[in-house]
Amino acid sequence: MTTPLLDITGDVCPMTFVKVKMGLQRIPPSGTLSVRLKEEALKNVISSLKTEGHRVTNVSREEGIFLLDVTKGG
Amino acid sequence: MSEADYKELKKGGMMRQAEAGLFSVRLHVVGGRLATPQLRAIQDAADRFGRGEIHLTTRQGVEIPHVPQDALAAVKEFLAPSGVGVGVCGPTVRTVTACQGRRVCPSGVIDSPELAVEVDRELYGKPVPHKFKVGISGCVSNCMKAEENDVGIKGWIEPRWEESACDFCGICEAVCPTKAILLSAGDGKLVIDPALCIGCGDCIASCPTGSTREKIRGYRVFAGGKFGRRPSLGKRILEVLRTKEEAMAAILAVLDFFREHGKPRERFGDTLQGTGFPALETFVKERTGLP
Repeated sequence: MTTPLLDITGDVCPMTFVKVKMGLQRIPPSGTLSVRLKEEALKNVISSLKTEGHRVTNVSREEGIFLLDVTKGG
Repeated sequence: MSEADYKELKKGGMMRQAEAGLFSVRLHVVGGRLATPQLRAIQDAADRFGRGEIHLTTRQGVEIPHVPQDALAAVKEFLAPSGVGVGVCGPTVRTVTACQGRRVCPSGVIDSPELAVEVDRELYGKPVPHKFKVGISGCVSNCMKAEENDVGIKGWIEPRWEESACDFCGICEAVCPTKAILLSAGDGKLVIDPALCIGCGDCIASCPTGSTREKIRGYRVFAGGKFGRRPSLGKRILEVLRTKEEAMAAILAVLDFFREHGKPRERFGDTLQGTGFPALETFVKERTGLP
């Protein structure tokens, strides 16, 4: 199964946060969601993921765009 | 009434108005916090002795304007039972301002009202060469504008880097608002420049692996700020302090320095123009043993 990809590079806070939250709802526990986002969304998205018990398990970047693999918690 | 009498009244928080015979009565407020019975008493006092008006000052204070001179003693007496004291003016330590701090604000790093109460208890109204303002921000978002004060404090998160957990993803470097983090994945090194770091903790909040961590969650001291006719911003002194007691000791030592070096009617920032900031830092460090 390929990892589902969520692109929030066109969104701003708080939609970045909302979309990631909704994206994770469609993923089973311990499943992975890839999220494409811009640098300015990094802090709020990652800190809210951590607060909600998810983990960022891989990070890659390409020309200012970051790709995060998010493993869904509990 | 002589000018000297007016001056004495002013020191005690009774501010002469433009209109002869009327005074604006300044009240003692700490960190902008009043209990509702106090507010009711202030409301009643304004109705009874003023013109039913209250003025909110720029530094979280409250004044009751339009009080006739012959009612000044009565207004003071009327407010006393509710625990509302009369304020100060003149060459004294003024209202200590604070945000709501970490007990209320999700961004809060320190309990700013708690420190404000302590500073107020130790220093409010104490004589100094010129007016002296203390403002306490719970975090570096700095709602209380620490650098505008003679002494300002900010809640501050000093990060440290734990090499073993780091996978050099570069997120901390990307989120750092001041580019204080320099990552060289090739050498397996990450350097945080303490001179550039503004203590926001964004690197810690966004680190996926927990390798940027809190080293100190504490107090950063700024000195020499003022506004008025010739504004200048306070500069930071000392290392990040770890406890409320350390912050208090630093503030007391800064005041001692001002008392030793400040000329009458000279704001602290101007005193520091003469002495330089290093002299202040050396003095505070020697007096307190703080880093």
